[in-house]
Amino acid sequence: MRTTVPVAIAFLSGFLMVVSFFFREEATFIGGLSQNLLIWLTIVGGFTLLLGVVSITRVNWNAVKARKEGWIFKVFTLVSIFAMAVPAVLPSSWSPLFGRAEGSIYDWLFTYLDMPMMATMFATLAFYIASAAYRAFRARTAESTILLVTATVVMLWRVPMGEAFLNQFPGDIPTFLNTYIMNGANLAVQRGIIIGAALGAASMSLRIILGIERTYMGKG
Amino acid sequence: MSFWKTIEDIDRRWVYLMVGLAVIIPFIFPTEFPISITPETQMLYDAVEAVPDSSTVMVVFDYYPSTIAECQPMSVAALHHFFRKDCKVITLSNIPLGGPSMAETVTRRIAPLYDKEYGVDFVNLGYKYGYVAVLSGMGTSIESIFPTDNSGTPISKLPLMDSVRNYDQIAFIFEVADNATADYWVSIVNAQYGVPMCCGTTAVGAPKYYSFVQAGQFVGLLGGMKGAAEYEILLSKPANAVLGMGAQSLVHLLIIAMVILGNVGFFASRRNKRKVTP
Repeated sequence: MRTTVPVAIAFLSGFLMVVSFFFREEATFIGGLSQNLLIWLTIVGGFTLLLGVVSITRVNWNAVKARKEGWIFKVFTLVSIFAMAVPAVLPSSWSPLFGRAEGSIYDWLFTYLDMPMMATMFATLAFYIASAAYRAFRARTAESTILLVTATVVMLWRVPMGEAFLNQFPGDIPTFLNTYIMNGANLAVQRGIIIGAALGAASMSLRIILGIERTYMGKG
Repeated sequence: MSFWKTIEDIDRRWVYLMVGLAVIIPFIFPTEFPISITPETQMLYDAVEAVPDSSTVMVVFDYYPSTIAECQPMSVAALHHFFRKDCKVITLSNIPLGGPSMAETVTRRIAPLYDKEYGVDFVNLGYKYGYVAVLSGMGTSIESIFPTDNSGTPISKLPLMDSVRNYDQIAFIFEVADNATADYWVSIVNAQYGVPMCCGTTAVGAPKYYSFVQAGQFVGLLGGMKGAAEYEILLSKPANAVLGMGAQSLVHLLIIAMVILGNVGFFASRRNKRKVTP
């Protein structure tokens, strides 16, 4: 029962969505049913976000209670979650500080704390990339040499100073790079990856719909 | 330690210092270099220009605050472009972490420059969980997926949404993304509903989307801050992306110099090692 019912639900839902592709009109029964299914999906998804909040609260609260190593950081996590979430879900009719509009607590925390912190974290990558490129990017083999040379000229081409430098050489190097590297070699490889991934996703979906793949239920 | 070994093993803190200086110096002493326009950006600009004036379009904020330096100039430029053409703009996001807030902030900052009014000229639908369901569902009815806008107002009360039921009323979609949601816009919305669309994405993500441009699924592409700078130039509105080109240029050149230096040191010390131990 615990296996059959989820497999049956997965089969019916998957089958319905596949079939509904051919019945786009809302007026048809299948079309209407699939639209309802999509709405349910967004509602159920909303609850999974809530589940995430409950889970992260429970895990962190237990760690704080037990005074585990780094518990003080978990206090910050908990305070941050609720400082952002609670004023955001309270109705703005109570106070302009509630809700998510401009001037609210949520907006202030997002604009002046969350956004700069995330941008800063991401920006520090530039330092690590520069250091890693210097240490690890070595022309040890023919393949790595091709990669290194290609990466270098593309990096030059993608910035105005580099492009100005490339234009000093005879021949239209920037156009060559765009035509043969980005729209040639790169495109061919990317297309192969995209088609391969799509085929993989399609076969995995089929396995789930047919009940062959059951790992999503925690079973092999 | 030999000279070449020293060249090969510069302390990483010196590298960090050089990167820091390469970022800061161009902002203190800005230097202008000509920014050439790539065909993909030109195609995007021409496609947006070809959208009939006053039609309804979507600008999608599918990026996290972490990539704001690259992606925000694209969405800002897109809003300038659409508002200049008197288009009605619907914004939304498939990113829970900040997407709707960025859409709200950016749109409300630019709209007054063109005397645009919320609800009449632009609407922010906000975020809904599950992008596949959201993108598919909007094909039948936008209201069934987004019954309210980002601030909780029923969309039936927004005059702009009176004339918009589903993708049939959307003339163009401008997707700004730093992740794979752009793939779903192509495979669900463009492939199944035929809505013309373009994409602005990070420099790291751009190579993947050249194939969609060649296939005609994206009518144009902005790749990274350079793509955004090109778009700003085409719009005659140079802003943050053009300003950032100096720093990006120097950091790219620095990384190239470091790679060359590292390799010179590597080969020289390897040759010296061979000489010592034949």
